[in-house]
Amino acid sequence: MPDQEKRSLEEKLRTIIQTVDVANAMTEPLTESIKNLLYLSARSMKSEEASVIIRDGDEGDLRFLSAIGQVADQLVGMKIPSGKGIAGFVFSSGQPMAVADVGQEQSFYAEVDKTTGYSTQTILATPLRHNGEIIGVLEYVNRNGEPPFEAFTPTEMDKAALFAEALASLVNAYESAKIFRELGEKMLTKDEEVNFKDVRDWLKNLRSTAEHREMIDLALLVKEISGRGESERTLCREIMESILRCSDAKSDTSFLSY
Amino acid sequence: MSSSINITTEFDFFSPLVNDESWKSRTGKGVSVAIIDSGIDTEHPDLTGKIKESLEAQNDGKRVHFVSSESGDSAGHGTACAGIISSIANDAELYSIKVLGAQASGDGQAFLAGLEYAIKRKFRIINLSLGTTKPQFFAPLHDLLDRAYQAGCIVVAAANNLPQPSFPSVFSSSLISVSKVDESDPFHFGFKYGEVIELTAPGVNVRTTWLSGGYRSLTGNSFACPHIVGIIALLLETYPMLTPFQVKSVLYAIARKNQKETDLEK
Repeated sequence: MPDQEKRSLEEKLRTIIQTVDVANAMTEPLTESIKNLLYLSARSMKSEEASVIIRDGDEGDLRFLSAIGQVADQLVGMKIPSGKGIAGFVFSSGQPMAVADVGQEQSFYAEVDKTTGYSTQTILATPLRHNGEIIGVLEYVNRNGEPPFEAFTPTEMDKAALFAEALASLVNAYESAKIFRELGEKMLTKDEEVNFKDVRDWLKNLRSTAEHREMIDLALLVKEISGRGESERTLCREIMESILRCSDAKSDTSFLSY
Repeated sequence: MSSSINITTEFDFFSPLVNDESWKSRTGKGVSVAIIDSGIDTEHPDLTGKIKESLEAQNDGKRVHFVSSESGDSAGHGTACAGIISSIANDAELYSIKVLGAQASGDGQAFLAGLEYAIKRKFRIINLSLGTTKPQFFAPLHDLLDRAYQAGCIVVAAANNLPQPSFPSVFSSSLISVSKVDESDPFHFGFKYGEVIELTAPGVNVRTTWLSGGYRSLTGNSFACPHIVGIIALLLETYPMLTPFQVKSVLYAIARKNQKETDLEK
């Protein structure tokens, strides 16, 4: 292999390794913090099993981001279809709820239990909210000790809502870090110069949350337009200012068609 | 100067109505109730024949339409609410308006459309166990609740005890919002005058209908809400001409009486 080609390959490999390191450094502390807070909160809730469930795409599907307890490893990555089960309801309604006797009849949890071999008996689920947006669900399952397990109380429900608030900030930070990690990996490991269209296409197909993705997409779009010249910049600014004016004045409240 | 509010006078104002407890033996016959939720399992033995119509939201990308639904309940919540309402008002006519589930991902738009649809159909009572914290829905929800009020539809919403305010339960003027208490008697509800969330009703370990013909013990404000819906159905069967404003006043008077009785027992 000629020297120059070898050097180029080494450089490329070094960049990839550095990128992966940087990437992990961005998300790993956050997943660790989420797990630590889960442990801490579960102890306070007298429960050994807890999980953080987050959005998976824009269609209301969910997936387990972090879990502690006997079947934690099996749960992480597991998906919940839109609107299914207690987590699905809590996510789409924003209403926290506790169920004292899960799993006696056929339910979504019976399916999860079949996969994990665990027996869900009592559950508390509360929404994870960030900036008015529901970004996931926090769940506590069963109690310390032996069954039958005591139902979760209204006071514990309030306590869970406070833990959910703290966890939601971490989950939001994790989602932002993850998107930048993937963006970084894509941009740094590519040979050619960054092509905005490619990056935007990639963003479009990303199974991440809509508002994070849309924000980056919009920023990229504005950056691309502003690189095209003075008249494009002026036009872009005028259009954006009109959008703001229109949004301020918007008063249409009908969502139905008759 | 004496106290500005004479509570005894308030009671006297409602006493003929409050002291006549015949409404408690009614069944909600002829009163239409819309349940905007995850759908209802119409096959549940306790609910057979009680669901007059099941509808679900379909989004064509721009607008939401409501079509006849056979998909039942995807989460169990709507079925639970229906069970609570019919346990109090056994003959109330229940209408399932499904805005959560596979077809409708539960975004604010489907939920608002469900409310708008229920107002358009002029259902007497609307059970809303859902809420949103998205600021963009603040104004449209306000407008819809005003429309409901003017149309004579009574909207009952579950309160949200979360750190961030949730709509519409914080809009106190034109709807009735309910939070949970540990109480088993549905008739023994309370009123917290002057607070954002005004009514309290049973919502802790409530045993009610669930998916696949089952039952669950459930805790949450969203289970307190259907208790008040059931109570209103009984009141409306007894006094069909009551307006949303009058219903709230009557609930307040009854709750005060409940409180007085509790105080006397102590």
